[in-house]
Amino acid sequence: MKKFFKDNSRELSVVVAIVIMFVAFGIIQPIYLSANNIRDIIEQATIYGLMGIGITGVIITGGIDLSVGSVLALVGAVVAQMTVAGVPPVISIIIGLAFGFTLGIFNGILITKFGLQPFIATMGTMAIYRGLAYVVTKGYPVLGVPDTYRKLVDGEILPYLRVSVILFFLFAVLMYIILKKTKLGTYVHAIGGNEEATRLSGVKVNKYKTLIYGIAMLGTALAAMIQIGKLGTGDPTTGQGYELNAIAAAAIGGTSMAGGRGTVLGTVLGAILFAGLKVGLIVMGVDTFYQYIATGLVIVIASYIEVVQTQISNKTGLLMKIFSGKSSNKSGNA
Amino acid sequence: MEDYIKFQNITKIFPGQRALNDVSFHICKGEIHALIGENGAGKSTLLNILHGMFSATKGKVFINSEEVKFTSAFEAIQKGIVKVHQEINAIPELTVAENLMLGNEIIKCGFILNKDQMIKETQELLDKLGCNFSAKEKMKNLSTGKKQMVQIAKALYINAKIISLDEPTASLSDGEVRILFKIINELKANGITILYISHKLDEIFELCDRATVLRDGEYIATLNIKQTTEDELIRSMVGRDVSMFGQRIKPFRVEKDKTVLKIESLSGTAGFKNINFELKKGEILCFFGLVGAMRTEVMRAIFGADHATGGMIYLNGNTLDNSSPSACVKEGIGLISENRKEEGFVKNLTNSDNIALASIQNYMNGFFVNRRLKEKNAVRVGEKVKLNPNNPDFMTSNLSGGNAQKVILAKWLSTNVDVLIMDEPTKGIDIGAKAEIYKLMEDLLEEGKSIIMVSSELTEAMGMSDRIIVMREGVIVAEFNRDEFAEERIITYAVGGMKNEEVF
Repeated sequence: MKKFFKDNSRELSVVVAIVIMFVAFGIIQPIYLSANNIRDIIEQATIYGLMGIGITGVIITGGIDLSVGSVLALVGAVVAQMTVAGVPPVISIIIGLAFGFTLGIFNGILITKFGLQPFIATMGTMAIYRGLAYVVTKGYPVLGVPDTYRKLVDGEILPYLRVSVILFFLFAVLMYIILKKTKLGTYVHAIGGNEEATRLSGVKVNKYKTLIYGIAMLGTALAAMIQIGKLGTGDPTTGQGYELNAIAAAAIGGTSMAGGRGTVLGTVLGAILFAGLKVGLIVMGVDTFYQYIATGLVIVIASYIEVVQTQISNKTGLLMKIFSGKSSNKSGNA
Repeated sequence: MEDYIKFQNITKIFPGQRALNDVSFHICKGEIHALIGENGAGKSTLLNILHGMFSATKGKVFINSEEVKFTSAFEAIQKGIVKVHQEINAIPELTVAENLMLGNEIIKCGFILNKDQMIKETQELLDKLGCNFSAKEKMKNLSTGKKQMVQIAKALYINAKIISLDEPTASLSDGEVRILFKIINELKANGITILYISHKLDEIFELCDRATVLRDGEYIATLNIKQTTEDELIRSMVGRDVSMFGQRIKPFRVEKDKTVLKIESLSGTAGFKNINFELKKGEILCFFGLVGAMRTEVMRAIFGADHATGGMIYLNGNTLDNSSPSACVKEGIGLISENRKEEGFVKNLTNSDNIALASIQNYMNGFFVNRRLKEKNAVRVGEKVKLNPNNPDFMTSNLSGGNAQKVILAKWLSTNVDVLIMDEPTKGIDIGAKAEIYKLMEDLLEEGKSIIMVSSELTEAMGMSDRIIVMREGVIVAEFNRDEFAEERIITYAVGGMKNEEVF
């Protein structure tokens, strides 16, 4: 039990923050807790969360992917065009996932084979993918996404339970398993901790790094296809600045930008906190300008809490040892 | 001499361990005082307390009979207590002068750096210390030894009274060590008190006045170096006799007619060329040489970590695909790098994950890593290498140097490589762990494996190897079979005192 709290202290503190946020907003503005509003929060959290979960994998390797916002627009536009042209929804979705995966792999190849820094490589593809979205749509939104498709990705199967939320959940489970239980997951953490040591252990670092960029982009591709389902249009201008929202969800959830550390659950919770805050500020009638300031502050404060938490956990560990009087472990840093 | 620095009942408890337990002793003014003990004995912790990096859980530190309690390293430095770091921290893109005066820059007109003055003063200091490089040189162009000189010069610049050196010779060439010792003696002559941490006993006998021995966080003894012997010192460090230290204990088992690895005219961008040698089954083949002989570069090229520019490599008679480390591991070659922290283990992984890193396919259940299998292997191999603590969930980065090296060994023992290249396998490791690693090397031979060892310690090279190849400046200059081992001849070849000898 103690170990559970220690290992998940970050996630638990985000849960506490979410509860406090709901209670506070709920008291000031009871409409915040209405079913419709909660649905709003979940819908926003789905988009940020899907993008954020993917990017968490990339950040754990010590990399970054700035192109996710553009991919949201590009995959959305292409899939919207396909469905409008009469391609069956299921096939459109499969192609959409494959397309997103390919775009991510291309990022990965630029970083591994050509040795570009992740920040620069994906800043480049951010512009390239955005441009492609404009090219394929000639700059106009793709209208008239058919209802069959929209029901498939965002239909309500039970009251208040949408397919999109299930997809969000499934992708989170998939990424959780990949990061925790597979060879790729071990290597992703190892690369983030010490890439050279991992390479010298005989791990094909480039292969696995490229792969995680591809898999990460599946989340954004899903988000893109859910978004066109929700809106009924594929908009080439959508998703600008979303890469920062996705990174924010990961950062609030405790993913270290230095690599090596981060969890899917943390990012999911981070996305919920982030979405809840954005919606809450709107419900409260806070001016848009101040909304920016408030969300920015949350990111800064969340990161600061992380710093404090690490310091405290070092100290409590020490106190626990003193009180329990154990000091059997003689090895360690001297 | 009076008690200049006095440690009184120092206890330091970290989460999960007691690093120091009731340690009391004193250091005299103007002496060179060695702190010795195995890795994990508490030497670095004690230094960190003196330098304000940690605060003691219990106990007091006195300097000049006055209790000191530093809350930061900066505060200690202001009081003239300076540490020259084990891992040299310098800013590579700045010049020597800028590095030296970092935080104490000379300013003119209120905010403009007075570079001329900075360079002039730095140069004076460097000249005084007998350094043969310019204050205008960029830090990144200096060797490790010279960077260390800059750090010492910096300590002098801020009028240090107490300087501690933590393993200062770990990556220095012999010549650089000579210069360093000269400087240290000069510091002593100027009344500066020196604390000196080293694993190399010969250095301590040459340089130090007294030595304090720590073991498992306990104070053992303070010995007067002039009145003690090496054996006595070792015994107090490890608490047992290690007279057979660095010697082969088991019978030799090299099979001279079985060539495992054959290298033909290998060359690489680093500058080594025409490297030819054969590794026999059951052999420990040592590559000896000075820093800069490019032994590490040759090994990295064989292992595929760097690309070779020419040459052929055969493993068990077949051409070796050494296009990448992963290809080499698959074919049966492993490499233990000289730089444990940078290239050896992954800091955010547990022991079991680090041990599994090269052999993860052995613990798979279809797509998934079987945690139980992985941990079972970690414990099994951990026991074999006497890992302490042998706990699969322990973070490798929290282990002492010797134990971290055992984790890396355990990683390769979990694979089925035939050839293990060990680059300075005992660098920075205490005597007890060293002996264990030597024993493991012999165990490996018994299992039918062969070892290439890169070593800069002649006692280790001569004690452990079947054969020694001497390299200098990128070429092989001599080869000795065990019955031809002679300290002076090997050294002479390594430093270039003799003409190259055709060896093949």
